[in-house]
Amino acid sequence: MGSSNAGFSVKNPLFSKLNRKLIILFVIVALVAPALGIYYFYIISTSVLPESVSIEQSFLLQTTAAVIIIVIAIDAGIIGFFVSRSISKPIKELYEATKEVEKGNFNVKTDIKTNDEIQELGNAFNRTTATLNKMDEERKQLDNAKSEFLSITSHELRSPMTPMKAQLQMLENEYFGKLTKNQKESLAVVVRNADRLDKIILDFLEISRIESARLKFNFKETDLKEIVNETVEFMKGFAKEKKIKIVAIVEKLPRIEVDPDRISQVLRNLINNAIKFSKKNSKIEVNVTPEKDHILFSVKDYGCGLNPEKQIRVFEPFYQVEKTSCRKYGGTGLGLTICRGIVESQKGKIWVESKPNEGCTFYFTVPVKPVREIEPIKVLFSEKDALEKKIREEFKIMLGPLGVGEFYELKSKNALWKDDIFEYIDLLTEKHIISDEQREGFKNRISNIFGEKKEIINMKEITPDGDFKR
Amino acid sequence: MAKSKKNSAVKNKTILVADDEPDVRETVKMILEREGYKIITAVDGDDCLNKALMEDPDLILLDIMMPGTPVKDIVEKIEDIKIAFMSVVRISEARKKGMCKQDNIVDFIQKPFDVNDLISRVNLILK
Repeated sequence: MGSSNAGFSVKNPLFSKLNRKLIILFVIVALVAPALGIYYFYIISTSVLPESVSIEQSFLLQTTAAVIIIVIAIDAGIIGFFVSRSISKPIKELYEATKEVEKGNFNVKTDIKTNDEIQELGNAFNRTTATLNKMDEERKQLDNAKSEFLSITSHELRSPMTPMKAQLQMLENEYFGKLTKNQKESLAVVVRNADRLDKIILDFLEISRIESARLKFNFKETDLKEIVNETVEFMKGFAKEKKIKIVAIVEKLPRIEVDPDRISQVLRNLINNAIKFSKKNSKIEVNVTPEKDHILFSVKDYGCGLNPEKQIRVFEPFYQVEKTSCRKYGGTGLGLTICRGIVESQKGKIWVESKPNEGCTFYFTVPVKPVREIEPIKVLFSEKDALEKKIREEFKIMLGPLGVGEFYELKSKNALWKDDIFEYIDLLTEKHIISDEQREGFKNRISNIFGEKKEIINMKEITPDGDFKR
Repeated sequence: MAKSKKNSAVKNKTILVADDEPDVRETVKMILEREGYKIITAVDGDDCLNKALMEDPDLILLDIMMPGTPVKDIVEKIEDIKIAFMSVVRISEARKKGMCKQDNIVDFIQKPFDVNDLISRVNLILK
């Protein structure tokens, strides 16, 4: 029995493992049973018949016995083949159906009519997939409802801002008479917070676009150096108060098709963040370098830095690095989440490297070729956690306790995407840490975790929605 | 701008403010009346179309999402009055181009608007 054949061989459906096992069992039984029978018959006949007869007839007897045994064995083999196939075929069907379910296709149904326990199993399987399918539908509906709710609420929240902000501005501009010092101060607080509220609502809208793949990109051939320099110049205004120097080092870059406004938006967010966490009189460095098939951007500050746990969590919505200082730093708590959404919508990556007290460097990549088919990026309630847990388990199984450390190493670099892990696995093989066979198995399991299906939620446009320009 | 500057050129200009939100209507009315414009208001699409045809204003500030007659139909029926759209939803440049095919559609005002910006835009349109 070829042990190289893992599970049910799809290439050879005639003789599955189970098939072969059963046929061999039938043949063995068919060899042993008549052999025993004939042996007893032989002993009895020799003891009953006179010796001369038995010697005369022994050749005939032996030949007959051999023929009988062979005929029975062949018969048993043929019967065994059909019997075993009646068992292995439905099992194989169930196995194939289970593999579909594993991929996330809950629409599979088995059609087993064997009138026995296997048929019952098949029926139970069908009911299970039906339940799973229903749950999956509900999950998608919920997810859509969440995105719609977020979008509608944000618009509804924005409407009252119009008269509110206008009336406040009229008050502030003394349309309705002179204001006392106290009235002015009070009004300033209201205005500041109305603006802040408006910013949060805008960020909510942006998140809802990211989550429902409605984020718009206006691609055009762009001189990235110009965009980076413009953005840095613009941000210098915000750095003056803390006397922070912003330096941009841009290497010679190819002209590529990007949305310059989006690049600028991400850069502004990162620089703004860097300014917030920088000490007075310090420096922020912006670097842009061309790599193989993408452009690598980085924003480095010399602030308080982040420990590894925070490095992973900074991209979560509303995650505040320091609970006590968060109010001082202000902001909506959605800036980095939006950055992640924009970068990942373009199949780029964003991550942070940092050591406590030495500052941090935020990196993001922009592919040389623009991604026009935008997919939804789940930035609010990501399935990432569940996914990462599974990947961590695989690392543990493959590499033992060492694997967990390696997992976190990759995670801190935000290199837990399929391609990153494959690259890492290839490296392990190159270093002879794992064998070629192990590599394939490892890769297969990682592929399974990521699943081959790509789910694009076609959300109906609730409102005429446009791009986002600041 | 502490004092309003009511110049005579502005006095006889009429603006129709069409928005289903009363506070927005009233706020825009307050701002522009102070500038010396004559303001009429409309509460929905039907009202807007009626008043536009009856009163023949110089400019319509038209919210793009209102109950009643759809904005598309209003715009098609009014070809000789200047129209500036107002929207709380951000509209992409490409969509704006599609919406501003007619010559009388002169501006696109994003809500929430800045008071001074609104005044200068309206002044520019009606100068």
